[in-house]
Amino acid sequence: MGTVLEAEGLLVGYAGAPVCGEVSASVEAGEVLGIVGVNGAGKSTVARTIAGRQASLAGDVKVHGLLIDPDAVPCRRQVSAVFDDDLFFPSLTVREHLLLIARGHSLDDPESRVEEELEFFGLMGRSHAIPDALSSGQRRRLLLAAGLIRPSSLLILDEPEQRLDPQMRVALGARIAEHAKSGGAVLLVTHDPQLLLATASSCLVIDEEVQEFDPGQGASIIAGS
Amino acid sequence: MPAPDVPVLENARQGRQLATDIVRFTRRSARRYQRSRISWGTRFVDAYSWGLGIAVSLTIAASFVLALRNEIALRASSAGSIIQEQWLVLPEPVLWTSVTFAVLLVISNLARKLGPMTVNGAEATWWLTLPVDRRPMVLPTFLRKLAITTAGAAVFYLPFSLVTAVGRAPVEHVPAALTFGAGAALAVVLAAVQQLGLLESRLGKAITTAILLGCSLLTALWPSPLPTAVAIAAAVGLVALVVPRVGMVRGDELVRGGAVAGHAGASLFMMDTNEVLRALGGSQKRLDGGKAARFYARPAHGPLTALIRADVVAFLRLNPPILPPVLWIAACIAILLVDGGLPEFAQLAVIMIAGCATSSGMGTVSRKTALVPELDALLPIHPALVRGSRTLMPCAAMALWMTLLSGLLVLLGAANPALMGVGALAGVGMGAGTLRAATRTAPDWSAPPVETPFGPVPRAQLGSLMRGLDVTILAMVPLMVALYLGYVPWSVVAVQAVFSAGIFLVVVLTRPKRG
Repeated sequence: MGTVLEAEGLLVGYAGAPVCGEVSASVEAGEVLGIVGVNGAGKSTVARTIAGRQASLAGDVKVHGLLIDPDAVPCRRQVSAVFDDDLFFPSLTVREHLLLIARGHSLDDPESRVEEELEFFGLMGRSHAIPDALSSGQRRRLLLAAGLIRPSSLLILDEPEQRLDPQMRVALGARIAEHAKSGGAVLLVTHDPQLLLATASSCLVIDEEVQEFDPGQGASIIAGS
Repeated sequence: MPAPDVPVLENARQGRQLATDIVRFTRRSARRYQRSRISWGTRFVDAYSWGLGIAVSLTIAASFVLALRNEIALRASSAGSIIQEQWLVLPEPVLWTSVTFAVLLVISNLARKLGPMTVNGAEATWWLTLPVDRRPMVLPTFLRKLAITTAGAAVFYLPFSLVTAVGRAPVEHVPAALTFGAGAALAVVLAAVQQLGLLESRLGKAITTAILLGCSLLTALWPSPLPTAVAIAAAVGLVALVVPRVGMVRGDELVRGGAVAGHAGASLFMMDTNEVLRALGGSQKRLDGGKAARFYARPAHGPLTALIRADVVAFLRLNPPILPPVLWIAACIAILLVDGGLPEFAQLAVIMIAGCATSSGMGTVSRKTALVPELDALLPIHPALVRGSRTLMPCAAMALWMTLLSGLLVLLGAANPALMGVGALAGVGMGAGTLRAATRTAPDWSAPPVETPFGPVPRAQLGSLMRGLDVTILAMVPLMVALYLGYVPWSVVAVQAVFSAGIFLVVVLTRPKRG
């Protein structure tokens, strides 16, 4: 399988000030690393830094042994990241957004792949709607569909359960597990104990000191027990 | 990178073609959607209103330019000036070359702040993450901006040339305008070179300054086809250097430029000058979190002292502009020293514009705190005292600036030394104006215009746009009277003191409007 993601002595933060302890982790192909912690602990900052969207204060992030660089084409091909960016082309429909990603990643038969994702995320009835006409949950589904329609060896998800109904959360958990089963690595930031238990193979708890636990302990920490 | 199920494009050309297709697909879909929403009738009305508006504006501008040109052509070189001691005579071409150079520097600076290569928020999310060459995503917008800047600069230079070089034959103004257009193109392309990181920051700025200085010399001093050809060749050469590399601009740079350009564009559309300044100043400087830390740490006696200290430190940490106020003073002096001299009213107008521009730069703290009105209620102090504390540093800074300017004017024989006192007093009123301007609300364009004997006037909108500027101008009126008279009667000092104190009190005691 092989190591997909390695973070060594990673320090993340803003204006030179770290927001949490040093992060060191590695994710093998087929593994899901959960990242949990209280609000403001720095989970999303860690995920953004690992995705290369934010410069680290110290330490390195490597994907397949190469330093992460979102400006490099190979990196963009391998890493799919879904954050809470509520940004869409105002005049493109749901279907057209997904078609853009499918074509941009040179998928075979992009139209049918788009149909499959629309079906999975329950957006078939809204496929010709523009983003302004969608509910916030539907926009979230669209973002997730865009992150999952494309192939990737590392999938980074920042609180994907946000604004999703319970049924969709379960389906999403199954989808993440399936991604890992087919050889992908996943970094999952979550506040949902069920999602963590259903998917994660290990778990980092972000705090002043970052510690690794098994998903059961991580879920207990989220639940506050 | 090993990933068997991830498709890999065979070569760069394929990647570029795919990116072109993606851009075309996005634009085509967007166009189709827009067409479905706008009827032909609406489009015709839009085109008619725009055409009519542009034609009327051009006619007014052309008649104004021709009238000004005749006025300047007829003006005797011994026209009156507000100064008596012209210890240095600045040849007119030097002044206009400096103005041309300054405008080119402004274009370059703005281009760097606004990108010049950008993507908007949606493009950043949906395009930049694709594993394809980014050139087709960035290049069309960049070339469009370049073409608009070049054409706009050439068109705007034409009337400037007509007014400032009355001795030239009409046909000589065209190459001068074209050279300036090429200079503007060079300013934008050099900003792109800096964005690409092809030159180290300081070296890039130095080279840009040198090239733009050369362009302004060519534009103002040598109106013939040869320098135009040189400037155009230089611009085309640099464009050829930059175009193949536009896909290499870092994603965060593209997003930064897009965010600033989007924010500034929307603010301009809404005619909200505070937002324009916030947009352009947002990525300008790093906040100096350590400045005046020792002063701030000293124990404060009471909440008002604590607040004043916080406002002073905030003002210092936001790095108030140093260079623009100095340049504005230099511009005022240059206008006064120019050979032949401008009419008195023009000299006074330049001083007034310089004062308004400088005071606007001192309102950064007020503009930032105006965004969070809750900040004013943090301490148990009367709101008037909070506003008074906020105006303290702008008032002090403007008093200092006006004293310096008045001092130089006294040296040039504009009036007796009492002018410096009048200047300092005027600075207090102008500083207070920054707070009034900072709490300006965006104009409400839905409010109906008021009927007057001269026709309907959008009074509410004008009131909103002029808020802050009104008291700044008012604070300068007694000083202008003293400059016009050539000496400072005590009545002017008294009126200036009353004006500045009145403006300060009005600003501090008036509850700001919230949008």
